[in-house]
Amino acid sequence: MNESSFSIEINGKTYSAMPGQTILDVARASDVFIPGICYTPNLGSIQTCDTCYVNAGGELVRSCVTKAIPGLVVDTESPLVQEAQYEGMSRILKNHELYCTVCDNNNGNCTVHNTVEHMGLAHQKYPFEAKPYAPDNSHPFYRYEPDQCILCGRCVEACQDLQVNETLTIDWSREVPRVIWDNDVPINESSCVSCGHCVNVCPCNALMEKSMLGEAGYLTGIPPKILGPMIDMTKEVEPGYKEIFAISEVEAAMRKSRIKRTKTVCTYCGVGCSFEMWTKGRDILRVQPLEEAPVNGISTCVKGKWGWDYVNHEERLTKPLIRKGDEFVEATWEEALDLVAEKLGGIKEKYGPDSIGYIASSKCSNEENYLFQKFARGIMGTNNVDNCSRYCQSPATAGLMRTVGHGGDAGTIHDIASSELIIVIGANPAESHPVLATRVKRAHKLNGQKLIVVDLRENELAQRADLLVHPKPSTDLIWISAVTKYILDNGWEAKEFLQNRVNGFEDFAKSLDKFTLQYAEEKTGISQEVLIQIATMIHEAKSVCVLWAMGITQHKGATDASTSISNLLLITGNYGRKGTGAYPLRGHNNVQGACDFGTMPAWFPGYEPVQDPKVRERYEKSWGTKLPTEPGHDNHHMVEAMHDDRLKALYLFGEEMALVDANSNFVQAAFEKLEFFVVQDIFFSKTAQYADVILPAAPSLEKDGTFVNTERRIQRFYKVLEPLGDSKPDWEIFQELANRFGAKWNYKHPSEIMDEVASLASLFAGVSYERLEGFKSLVWPVSADGKDTPLLYTEKFAFPDGKARLVPVDWTPPFEAGPEYDLHLNNGRILEHFHEGNMTYRNEGLTHKVPEVWLEVSHELAKERNLEDGTLVGLTSPYGYVEVKVIVTDRVKGNELYLPMNTREDNEAVNYLTSSYHDLITHTPAYKEMGVKMEVLEQKGEPPLPKHNHRYGNRVPQISVKVEEKWNRPDFTSINELLEQKEDENGTGYQENQKRSS
Amino acid sequence: MAQAIRKIKKEVPNQKEEQDQATAEIMKELSNNKDAVIAAIQLMKGMQEMGIYDAVRGMLDNRTEVGAIAIQQMNQPAMHNVIKNGMSGVKFLGALQPGQMDTIMAGVGLGLKRLSETGQQVEKQSIWKMRKRLQSPEIRAAMTTMIDFMEGMGEAFLKNRNKSQ
Repeated sequence: MNESSFSIEINGKTYSAMPGQTILDVARASDVFIPGICYTPNLGSIQTCDTCYVNAGGELVRSCVTKAIPGLVVDTESPLVQEAQYEGMSRILKNHELYCTVCDNNNGNCTVHNTVEHMGLAHQKYPFEAKPYAPDNSHPFYRYEPDQCILCGRCVEACQDLQVNETLTIDWSREVPRVIWDNDVPINESSCVSCGHCVNVCPCNALMEKSMLGEAGYLTGIPPKILGPMIDMTKEVEPGYKEIFAISEVEAAMRKSRIKRTKTVCTYCGVGCSFEMWTKGRDILRVQPLEEAPVNGISTCVKGKWGWDYVNHEERLTKPLIRKGDEFVEATWEEALDLVAEKLGGIKEKYGPDSIGYIASSKCSNEENYLFQKFARGIMGTNNVDNCSRYCQSPATAGLMRTVGHGGDAGTIHDIASSELIIVIGANPAESHPVLATRVKRAHKLNGQKLIVVDLRENELAQRADLLVHPKPSTDLIWISAVTKYILDNGWEAKEFLQNRVNGFEDFAKSLDKFTLQYAEEKTGISQEVLIQIATMIHEAKSVCVLWAMGITQHKGATDASTSISNLLLITGNYGRKGTGAYPLRGHNNVQGACDFGTMPAWFPGYEPVQDPKVRERYEKSWGTKLPTEPGHDNHHMVEAMHDDRLKALYLFGEEMALVDANSNFVQAAFEKLEFFVVQDIFFSKTAQYADVILPAAPSLEKDGTFVNTERRIQRFYKVLEPLGDSKPDWEIFQELANRFGAKWNYKHPSEIMDEVASLASLFAGVSYERLEGFKSLVWPVSADGKDTPLLYTEKFAFPDGKARLVPVDWTPPFEAGPEYDLHLNNGRILEHFHEGNMTYRNEGLTHKVPEVWLEVSHELAKERNLEDGTLVGLTSPYGYVEVKVIVTDRVKGNELYLPMNTREDNEAVNYLTSSYHDLITHTPAYKEMGVKMEVLEQKGEPPLPKHNHRYGNRVPQISVKVEEKWNRPDFTSINELLEQKEDENGTGYQENQKRSS
Repeated sequence: MAQAIRKIKKEVPNQKEEQDQATAEIMKELSNNKDAVIAAIQLMKGMQEMGIYDAVRGMLDNRTEVGAIAIQQMNQPAMHNVIKNGMSGVKFLGALQPGQMDTIMAGVGLGLKRLSETGQQVEKQSIWKMRKRLQSPEIRAAMTTMIDFMEGMGEAFLKNRNKSQ
């Protein structure tokens, strides 16, 4: 028992409790049964179900809100308590018809079912009453059935206070209350972002995935004409619930044999949500997150919850294809791999190993990335291997490695949630990292966390921010440095921290001289008052986290801007403590892991330099080959080398480089010059159109592996389905190809690959599949004994002397396209689609919500150029041309445009406009530095964004479910009151009653 | 030099080849299970002759309507009783202790045996003789058991009466 814990007594037995725990918490931690329908640990107490009554210290109380105090005596079993709980449950069943056997939610995890059963309720005290509302089937993914809704408010709590989308409420004022969306509109027309929280937490079948309906049960597909009377009959003949449950449990058990539940990790962003995927054959019935998921708990977003049926899409590549003349022809694996081996081998022979480039995938597993770089380095003899972190977060990695030593987030999502001040710069987490954003929104709404958002666009977090700052594009380094200088000038720096733990203070402080408030105001457009306000907020907060993304990293001075963030955090001592640190938000599920596991031109796995002879020796010994000594080409270099005829062949997997790399015309022209090009993907992508051989790969659901999320957390995903057709997991393809070069690899399972990495890279020394089983995870560095490091730098920074380094940096002016390109072009992702949409456009519901790309223009510009929703415009940059339809919105201001990247069309994709200018240090393209000119092509047209998109909804913010309104209804009698009355009627006073119960 | 191309020539599976392969697989299974197949054919022939297939097909083609009628028929008080009684019966059997049941069943068995012997003997017994036999331990044991049984039954009756009041 630890120091602060104490004990309470439940039913005569002693249990250990912690301060702040409720009676229900203590009971559940020790498997003492107290009913509770509305309570879940992720959501907390809602107080609507009234089933968790206990007698505590002589009073009948809700155990979900009553805190345990030392010596408290609790009774959960006396007749009075039982009566109270039964009353609560009976009221619930008035709203819910138990027809479990023919219910799609009868899967062993239905809270209502399990609670009724556990309580041993024999029959219905109040007859079930249908509600006067039809089911709402309007939404493409889920439906609400008011008749089954018990009004527990879990969905409302999840929507209001966990996801914080603020769409759902319960209207307690109407005669028959129900859940409503926005101001009572059909679900599909509301502000619902389809995150799935409400469905995930519904304790019964009121909110259900449409993919479950009629599919989950053996009898649930029965037509309503038969089902209705069947339910009636079941109820008529069942002597009590006990028998109904006996049958329904048999049925639930039978379901287990055909519905498979497999843990997987989401691939739609770097947050790393994990959940169970329920499948029947190849059909995906449901994505069900569990409380124990280390990052997301019960949270999901629209893509993670619903966006998976692309795996069964008819356009999946299922056979290798070989270019013959002007068409691709199907081939066997033998033919395709023999050809790849022959061609790559020939080119290597003829032009040398460095004439071939290897582009890895941040969407694929750690093991696959490891094997790919092992193939490039060990078998093919080149360090020309890179991944798409080059397009996004390499500058952040570099900025952090310079200053604190590790190129990763300083802490976890739990630090972000517990921080006093969050600063988000150039990032749109609410759309690009939705579940991570929920933790910020929740802390901000409920816990008084302060939020500063610095962005060109007024995205959702910006709308919620305490302080919203709109700098001139590409000037972040300046205001960050000015704020840092102001903090130093006022003596607000963390003096002791700097003295003990940080090097380079003097030089750094001197380098800030030019960053006066005045200079900053002039360059950034941010007023001096606002700069002072930012500095003051940082100074006053006991803990600060800075979150950033492409708004910082896709510039010519990106590494330096990232460095300036880290400098600011060092100056203020915001590292190494709970709730502090730097958080570059990784965009893809495994950007972090692809880098960690070595698909980088200068590093082996675990960031050990290829130039270090000792490191090389270790790998040479293990792999039994000679290894190249100099860093290879990065993505950017590779494209240049293709144009210069130095790179003759390219092997790329899982990357839509033709559309995702900047300056698409230039990149595609480079592909055309290749002598031989291998593309490995799950769909026939734009990039694949340039290939000579296309190899059909298997997506994450069809293989085993691990990913590393933005927190540095390594998580395991399991094979849900067999690979479709002849497609194969990427690692198997690499192995078969390597063996054609005589590699003699014999990996039977990705776990063997991980074991090899753990034996070579000290960062992952203690990583093994056993330690990652199920929902277990490890946050690197992981020492050999399996101890991981959720929070970095608590004792020392990752440098030999353990001290951080302040690095002086200066501002790099952005690329200017020229005066005729008068509009600034910003770009990024949107919530509903992943990148260009190769996967998500193959999902009917997501496409229904967002059918096509749009261009955001400001009201000012719309007025000036006579634009309206649906106007078709042409945009020209020095590098290309696109045609897109306009949406007029206050999310952008003045002459700033926003063109999201969710299109696969040649005349729409934003990267036909971007340039090949890049961050000076990491070569990450300066996607965010472009000017365009606009011409109106068709003034009127169908708006590109349908009215049933959440962006047109109307949120209804409130805290929780407003249970007080329920209690104030004239037809509500509290259970205490009811029991009191009853006892009085029987001539027995409440005091008597108390005695009876204790 | 490779221009972007979009054309994919898919091998359309040769229908004849696929069919041949399927036929071969079916033939193999048939010959491996010759006896079962022949028996099944005989059974099917009989059902065909009886017109069962036509009826089943009619039901399958209209399964929703037929199902609705069937469930309506089942959803009647008489059927509810059948099901309820069925469940009560099962519950009753579940309540019995197998050990006790053994003794009772053995008793009933032996009793029946005696009964049939009495039937064959035809000989009348005087009231006196019968009264005397009442004193035998066997009769007394059976009588006590019967009275206990009636007591239990009465208790259940009373309990039910109280409940329904």
